[in-house]
Amino acid sequence: MNDAGVDPKLLEILVCPLTKGPLAYDRERRELVSEQAGLAYPIRDGIPIMLVDEARRLDGDET
Amino acid sequence: MSESQAPFDRRAVRLHRARAAARATEASEGLFREVGLRLLDRLDDITRRFPVAVELGARDGALREGLAGRNGVAFLAQADLSESFARRCRGPRFVADEDLPPLGPHSVDLVVSNLALHWVNDLPGCLSQIRRSLRPDGLFLAALLGDKTLNELRTVLADAEIAATGGLSPRLSPMVDVRDAGALLQRAGFALPVVDVDRIDVSYRDPLALMRDLRGMGETNAVAARPRRMARRDVLLAAAALYAERHGDGEGRVPATFDVLFLTAWSPHGSQQRPLRPGGGQVSLAKVLGDGR
Repeated sequence: MNDAGVDPKLLEILVCPLTKGPLAYDRERRELVSEQAGLAYPIRDGIPIMLVDEARRLDGDET
Repeated sequence: MSESQAPFDRRAVRLHRARAAARATEASEGLFREVGLRLLDRLDDITRRFPVAVELGARDGALREGLAGRNGVAFLAQADLSESFARRCRGPRFVADEDLPPLGPHSVDLVVSNLALHWVNDLPGCLSQIRRSLRPDGLFLAALLGDKTLNELRTVLADAEIAATGGLSPRLSPMVDVRDAGALLQRAGFALPVVDVDRIDVSYRDPLALMRDLRGMGETNAVAARPRRMARRDVLLAAAALYAERHGDGEGRVPATFDVLFLTAWSPHGSQQRPLRPGGGQVSLAKVLGDGR
């Protein structure tokens, strides 16, 4: 499905819910990445899912 | 806060909200609509403009229509704990846990929340996170259910359960009272906190209709220590009978009281009124009061 992308203004206000640190927008994987928390929050149909238990861990042993 | 100490089971809250999202109708959203209008009324009393606004716990996003453009709101992002509710919001939206708002420091001018924060586990923590997300002189405007909410139901459920089982389990959530709310806002670092209460009485066809409606609203029990089974059917029926007997209007209809706390509080800014520092007075008190003779 075609991803509508995220409103850039929304990206300006969003941070990692856990660390309140910055997020990097990974357009390719449709994720918002918090390096500090080691978590990547998914974006589904243009909607950032800012929930810790829905985030992917950046442990390195992932696909 | 460890899982065992947390008062609410947030997974249950999320589940209830998702269920509500699937079934939301104008009728089940009625209380939220009414309180939403009252929140907008409070904004009308304020002249300041808020270019960037966020609504936490936006449900189906109905408040957008009233909020966008009001008080100079140029950008409004709406968030809900439930993805299915967030999908129903039009315009910028995200999914977020109200316990952990993902908002950057000093990033927004206005945070609005309509009857969502009574389910958070750490209200003081939530409030100070909101305060930190506000720009100086930014506004936090929220409605939450106060401790007198559904008092009728709380009492009859307790009485019926004690009569049937000799024991009591938490069926309704604990809620905050006016004085606590004011103190919490102050502790969270807000300036000029104001809390006022509106009592909203809703009339139901009968007590069971009320219970069904609460489920439709996604507002049923999510207390972590709640019993995992539904209340026994005979207990529910006994409670319904007690409810009708004590509060009925003679034709079977019953009222339910929702005690809604409206919170307004500001992120501190030099232009706001403040008390003088102790010792900063220019006129001696003795002079004002006379010398006591």
